[in-house]
Amino acid sequence: MPTAKVLTPAAPERAAKGALLAGYRPPVGTYDEMMTADGQVRPHYREMIASLARMDEAERGRRFATATQYLREAGVFYRVYGAVDQSDRPRSWPLAHPPLVIDREEWATLEAGLVQRADFLERLLSDLYGERALVRDGVLPPAILGRNPEFLRPVADQGKSGHPLIRFIAVDLGRGPDGQWWVLGDRTQAASGAGFALENRVATSRAFPDLIRDLKIQRLARFFRDFRETLYSLDDGKGVRAGLLSPGPHNETYFEHAYLARYLGLLLLEGGDLAVHGSSVEVRTVDGAKPIRVLWRRLDSDFADPLELYARSRIGTPGLARAVRAGGVELVNALGSGILETRALLAFQPALAKALLGEELKLPTVATWWCGQEKERAFVAKNRDRLSLANAFPQSAEAGERRRPLDLGIRAADSEGFADMLETNGLDVVAQEIVGLSTAPVFVDGKLVARPVTMRVFLARGADGWRVMPGGFARTSSSTDPSAVSMQSGGHSVDVWVPGDHVERQVSLLEKPGGGFARRLPSAPPARAADNLYWLGRYVERAEAATRLVRLHAARLAEGERVGELEQVVGERLAAIGVDAAVGDPTEGLLDLAGQAFATASRIRDRFSPDGWRVLGEIVDMIETFREEPGDVAALASGVLTRLSGFAGLVHESMYQHTAWRFLQSGRLIERGRVTALVAAALAGEKTLEGGLEALLEFTDSRVTYRRRYSVDLTRETALDLSVLDPLNPRSVAFQVNGFKTILDALPGRRHGETLDMLSRRAVRLQSRLTTGHPSEIDEAFLKRIADDLAGLSDLLSRRYFGAGPALAERLESE
Amino acid sequence: MIYDLVLKIGYDYPSEVKDARHILRVRPRAGRGQKVTGTQVTIVPRPDEQTAERDFFGNALDHLLLLPPHAALSVTMKTRVTVTRPTPDLANTPTVAAVRGAAALLRDPGPDGPMHFLGPSRLIRLGETFTAYAEAALDDEAAIGEALLAFSKRIKADFKYAPGATTVDTPAEEAFARREGVCQDFAHVMIASLRGIGIPAAYVSGFLRTEPPKGRPRLEGADAMHAWVDVWLGEESGWMGFDPTNGMVTLDDHIVTAVGRDYSDVAPIDGVLITAGPQKTRHSVDVVPVEA
Repeated sequence: MPTAKVLTPAAPERAAKGALLAGYRPPVGTYDEMMTADGQVRPHYREMIASLARMDEAERGRRFATATQYLREAGVFYRVYGAVDQSDRPRSWPLAHPPLVIDREEWATLEAGLVQRADFLERLLSDLYGERALVRDGVLPPAILGRNPEFLRPVADQGKSGHPLIRFIAVDLGRGPDGQWWVLGDRTQAASGAGFALENRVATSRAFPDLIRDLKIQRLARFFRDFRETLYSLDDGKGVRAGLLSPGPHNETYFEHAYLARYLGLLLLEGGDLAVHGSSVEVRTVDGAKPIRVLWRRLDSDFADPLELYARSRIGTPGLARAVRAGGVELVNALGSGILETRALLAFQPALAKALLGEELKLPTVATWWCGQEKERAFVAKNRDRLSLANAFPQSAEAGERRRPLDLGIRAADSEGFADMLETNGLDVVAQEIVGLSTAPVFVDGKLVARPVTMRVFLARGADGWRVMPGGFARTSSSTDPSAVSMQSGGHSVDVWVPGDHVERQVSLLEKPGGGFARRLPSAPPARAADNLYWLGRYVERAEAATRLVRLHAARLAEGERVGELEQVVGERLAAIGVDAAVGDPTEGLLDLAGQAFATASRIRDRFSPDGWRVLGEIVDMIETFREEPGDVAALASGVLTRLSGFAGLVHESMYQHTAWRFLQSGRLIERGRVTALVAAALAGEKTLEGGLEALLEFTDSRVTYRRRYSVDLTRETALDLSVLDPLNPRSVAFQVNGFKTILDALPGRRHGETLDMLSRRAVRLQSRLTTGHPSEIDEAFLKRIADDLAGLSDLLSRRYFGAGPALAERLESE
Repeated sequence: MIYDLVLKIGYDYPSEVKDARHILRVRPRAGRGQKVTGTQVTIVPRPDEQTAERDFFGNALDHLLLLPPHAALSVTMKTRVTVTRPTPDLANTPTVAAVRGAAALLRDPGPDGPMHFLGPSRLIRLGETFTAYAEAALDDEAAIGEALLAFSKRIKADFKYAPGATTVDTPAEEAFARREGVCQDFAHVMIASLRGIGIPAAYVSGFLRTEPPKGRPRLEGADAMHAWVDVWLGEESGWMGFDPTNGMVTLDDHIVTAVGRDYSDVAPIDGVLITAGPQKTRHSVDVVPVEA
């Protein structure tokens, strides 16, 4: 038995730690989160640093890669507005390591300050949308309210009801050189980042499961579970689902909306999914209009109602403001809550706190001067070197300026025409002290370096008051200049860890506290979601058909066949679905089709697994890569087909087979039936082209089946029988039609025994034509009629379930 | 003066529209020298929902919902309005500078509070051009009432009244550059100019009497709904109407329907509907004095 000598780890560990920290030099005069001014690691960082030091660079690399892989698989991404080059391509989320660790006791202090601040903001908003005593009594200058584009007059009195107008907010914090945390700004309009914080947490717990456990890092799930309970409690016990109101897939944080909706079990809704009737709000679903009472609003207020707010909004719900006034819907946060983001308000904090709370704010705010006052203007002019300038008011929808996640503004000293601007536009300008941010350690190229950091923290209000999410979303700058702290200009995010006093049990949002077990069927999807699912099915299937045809085309040419009649016919079929195989590069059309499928899937990411979405993204990548370095088209086609069958498998194996699945499946069946009929018509409809029957079997992937099923030689009748009429061949036209009919019977609004509507009648007729058909009667006309009938079914289905959304809405004005 | 008033607004759609939501702001306001009786609003086709409300500024709104497809919409408003506005003593008003100072400080956050009418609004941006125009026309030490009447006349003289030259969407800057437009443009120009020098100014929509009294000229803008400007003249005098299209103070010939920050707050009809193309509009007004 070998005896092990017990090594004291102290000596080598110290050496490794020394190596890890060797080049770590926080800039002089700043506060560093990890290291004291005399080079000691702060106590709350020690365990993590020791543990990181024990790992060699390769292991750290593996762990970081685990996190990255998770984020990639989950499809976490954000959009960059105005990026001209890669127009709409989502970028992956840059997560840096290690997490920012906040000392437990310091966090408790911070928490108390944040809860007080949230209370303060809640009261401030209630007053601005209620009695407006702060203005009447002179605490706030009248212009702060009067010329504020976020003071929405259609809901000016909503605060009088007395219940909270904000329930979910974020606060941006930075730490000054003296170690004191400062409030840099409040996010009350549609605070983003909480979902990203959650995803970052999942990623870091994959990378550092041991550290999370050893450091007893507080979990985030409980915070979200409580918030979900709050949302559900706001519907007056009516038991109706709550929704998340999103501006839609073009918003930079759409991923987060889809992610949070799925995580919290909320319906992901866009303005066009909603309609106001009387004083209540309804969701347009495939099963008719369903009431909804609670909406977590992630859409900027002014865009929420084109009738009473910003008229040019195409993403709102006409009548929503009136429903709010009538008490028919609860918005979290209320319309107009973005007024709290007015920077000019920061100039009046002490007086506001005294008036609203009767006490001082525990957390200081960044020193701010509103240049609408003469004395302040003079001060700002004199001290311009240490100040930055920013808009005093939130930007109006008309101004169209896009909000940056964190805008630290421009340095006053750099601003041209500074004095003039203060005189003529002073009302619209604030000056703020340039904040020296603290630095935190992040790995860059394997080495720990100190980078300026800001932290966004989140608060939710339950029945018993405000709670802080124990963690947050921190951002580090890619340079040492604190003003560059913005995701948009290339910074990184890091997770925020708050150690607790015990290891927390994992909380799942799937279980309801104290609730029993009840299997509920998912509610009917909004019409827009069903429409997208249906088209996703069609695009995926169309991409598959195109890929099969491209492969067919490429293989024949590779075999040295001259371009004959068959190639010409296949080329025509391809051209009909947007792929140019004759003259141009067929991969261009394939990329379009795959891109359409991917874009459609991106719009409904809350509806199916991230894996399915990722597979479609991979197909797009695959074709793009091929186009950069062209190779064998047939090989590309085979690769794409493998991925597509992977997608089909995921949909079939993992998607809950209810209404949403049925629409996706309908799209696939109709498209496949239609394309197959048209291809059969082209290859063997009128006359049999040379090689046409083989090509048809190849296209329908039925060569093996054919050999099993028919002992005779390949004839036109047997080939058509197998690819059109055979109810057991999963690629025959009949199989698609039968499948569609079965799904149709299960769609909402259909009862057995009722008189058939037009949609069902047409489907039954088509079904019986195929059931009773004989191969000998199949000709081009027969097949084309089937294709037309399938197109007709598609129209009827769309009209019945998807309706015409208000995407077509036009505002009308009098003379 | 007592008037019987009939407003007709009609829309013809090239193809049927459905699911139409509208807000009407067509009922004349009571108060400030106006008494309104027996207002009737008739809508064809009959709306599925119709709700009456008042907005922040106290204007009467009708919310309409018309679900089924329809090819035309007509709105008819009939009412009787009594207008009695004494001729103001314009010389006996505070100076422009005094009004500017008082306006900046006044804390009344209510619907009439000057604070709502000093800054930019949806359709009105402030800017150098407007501010300079106002500064050249209004002397800080002049009595503001007289200065505003002179300014109204100046706008009437500087701008050409040209129906069809502009649309509801024409920015005030463009109308200013072209020196022409309709009542909406005249009002927006005056408002942007006054706000630029710190004088509270509001947009007013309303009606003019159709046929002038004997011996007086017919006013511009009497065939359709009209627009002018309310200006705040200090706490004592309060708000007073000036009509830059006709270069005058508003007296018994002007009937106020709605007041707001600009046209977008008071548009007589707003709507969101599903449509295939532009619509044709019809619009007529009859304001007839009732013989006592």
